[in-house]
Amino acid sequence: MDDSSKLIKTADLLLDISSLLMVSGANTTRINLSIGRFASALNTKASSFISHKTIVMTLYDKKTDLSCTRVKKIPPYIINFTFISAISKASWKALSEEWSLEQIAEEIKRIQTLKRYPRWLVLIAVSLAGAGFCNIFKGDYLNMLVAFVSTFVGLYIFQETHKHKYNLYIRIFLGSFVASSLASLAVIYNIGSHPSTALATSILFLVPGVPLINSFTDLMDSKIINGMVRFTTGAMIVFAMAIGLFLAMYIFQINLR
Amino acid sequence: MMLEVILKLLEVSFWSGIAALGFGLLFNIPKNSILTVFLLGAGAGFIKFLLMHFDIHVVLASFIAASFVGFISVPLAHKIHQPPVVFSIPPVIPMIPGYFAYETVLSIMNFTFMVDDSQKRLQLIDAIFTNGFTMVFVLISLTVGVALPMLLMKKSTVKHLDN
Repeated sequence: MDDSSKLIKTADLLLDISSLLMVSGANTTRINLSIGRFASALNTKASSFISHKTIVMTLYDKKTDLSCTRVKKIPPYIINFTFISAISKASWKALSEEWSLEQIAEEIKRIQTLKRYPRWLVLIAVSLAGAGFCNIFKGDYLNMLVAFVSTFVGLYIFQETHKHKYNLYIRIFLGSFVASSLASLAVIYNIGSHPSTALATSILFLVPGVPLINSFTDLMDSKIINGMVRFTTGAMIVFAMAIGLFLAMYIFQINLR
Repeated sequence: MMLEVILKLLEVSFWSGIAALGFGLLFNIPKNSILTVFLLGAGAGFIKFLLMHFDIHVVLASFIAASFVGFISVPLAHKIHQPPVVFSIPPVIPMIPGYFAYETVLSIMNFTFMVDDSQKRLQLIDAIFTNGFTMVFVLISLTVGVALPMLLMKKSTVKHLDN
């Protein structure tokens, strides 16, 4: 393999890693850190511009002074902290044990086969989280049951629409609307001591915590464009949630009581 | 009376931990950080509600609890070799001001579509601003609180890398 085709292969691998980190919910500094480690393990230097949907990277070979620039489109986002953690560990090992290109590629392939938690477990855990929220905001155990059921059905709809490749904001709206409609029914039939608490907490499984916190860390690190992009995504998600809640409350005529 | 308060506090902390864990599983955290996320979530909930019990404003209480998570997660990350985001983000999610957000939306809807009485409309404006701004300030204090310690303490990691 000659120098330039090896460099192109390296750049493509580093782009794959950056895109994997980006969709898994890493912030921009973390991505640059990991890529920097892999790049120096391979005797290269990487400069990249990362945005929401594309990554542009120029890779320099430290010995031959060759350089190559490649662009990659980023697939849809699915937050996965196990990937971030595994890639971070691999980057340390690659640096200290001086891994070759093939070794890194193999490890990344292995990481991508790591399984997610089973769907039923996520559904139950997130619904329990919804019930927990309800307890935090002074709901009793009957309210918590309502929050559990609404979150469960809302998240189920959110996951199902993901399979049919709906637009993210439409999915957020549908999840929010379904969950808050169910909780609104409980308000109408006055179930539990604070039925409105269950309504307020039924849609919290959709909160864009990762984009908003990453947005702030990016802005603080002067990654202004990416920070703004993440903030806009977060704000759009909050907006979609609010519209869903709003519509359900309007249909069921939930008044201040 | 005292015992009742403590029991209530522990109950709320427990459910904060469960909420943190639920979000952790949604974000697919590594298996070996499950217990850490639960404990950090419960700890943050305990601090927040303890402070609020002593009449400290929800904004400040959230900030202190979120900084607790941020400060703990950096040394913890070094110890068990995981990036700090893995266990700093899920524990702050239970502190998201959901109820203030709900009250804001409810007041806006009543103001726009339902209430005509001008006295009640004034009360609704008050509710929109009080709840809306509390929500915004709690959100800001959560993000700043959890991210600032990481940014402050990150210097050491970068130095370590450069050598």
